Amino acid sequence: MVILKYLLLIFLIMTAFLAINFKEVLVSIIFLSIFSIILTTLYLIHNAPDVALAEAVIGAGLNTAIFMSVISQVREGKNSIFREDD
Amino acid sequence: MSRTKHVITVIVLSLLGVTMLVALNKIPNQFEYANSISQHIVNNAVKETGSLNFVTAILYDYRAYDSLGESTIIFGAVSGIVLLLSRKTLPVSSHGLSFIVKRTFGMLTPFIFLFSIYIITHGHLSPGGGFQGGVILGAISIIFSIVYGSEFDYKRYTPTTKTLLETGGALLFIGLGFLGILFGGNFLMNMRFLNMGEGSLISAGSIPFINTVIGFKIGAGLAIIFYSMIQKTFKEGVDL
Repeated sequence: MVILKYLLLIFLIMTAFLAINFKEVLVSIIFLSIFSIILTTLYLIHNAPDVALAEAVIGAGLNTAIFMSVISQVREGKNSIFREDD
Repeated sequence: MSRTKHVITVIVLSLLGVTMLVALNKIPNQFEYANSISQHIVNNAVKETGSLNFVTAILYDYRAYDSLGESTIIFGAVSGIVLLLSRKTLPVSSHGLSFIVKRTFGMLTPFIFLFSIYIITHGHLSPGGGFQGGVILGAISIIFSIVYGSEFDYKRYTPTTKTLLETGGALLFIGLGFLGILFGGNFLMNMRFLNMGEGSLISAGSIPFINTVIGFKIGAGLAIIFYSMIQKTFKEGVDL
């Protein structure tokens, strides 16, 4: 269990680093979601199921959906900031 | 230029880290809590509130006023987002996903709803509570919008229903608080009515009711936030 805990902590730092440093925003969002799932497992290992449930639902579910919708609108909309000027 | 920026960032972050480590050192030792409030809660929470889940007991009994503040924050956030994003532009089509995904989620969504209701109503017995279950309720609206298209969400779960659920939840929460005064106590006091013994579904006084009310309030609030963020993705020609 102790080995699993430290392994998860290492993966937590790795996913946080990758989420910040990826150029592609979509990949960053996916890494943020993985970060939340690893954090949920860590909360469960530390006997905090209430916080784990909140983290799983909000971090992995709601945040990803809201960020995805924002990204799709920013890219495709008329007022897109990624639109090439003509 | 960017090198000096990096150096400044590293200096600021290391100063922040040192400050946090010093602050962490000031936290009292675990054994100094022997006669403190947390020990009191661990010893007496079941006797005083009837709730087997101590986290819910603290959130909706000992510190129910803080929960009222939290739900006020979410109410303010929902109001602000609706106010900012209420313009109708950008007609982008939204037909939802493929037939297979629609059928799969048609079978899955009732069970997700059942799970959220279970988490809300068993908040005082098992891990979870109003907030967590409410967010799952809000996720159902997100599933409607993404999988079936936002038009489906608009027709089946109208913004009027969401607004009614949210404001009704907030009003019922405050009403439960005033009920505490009416029964001869403080605001948001746990009256211990309808108690059928520890561990049963109807126990712990007003905690399950506050859980239910907050669950529907949070779920509807998050659904309103997501809906107002994607409400511009209607098909051209569908007028609201």
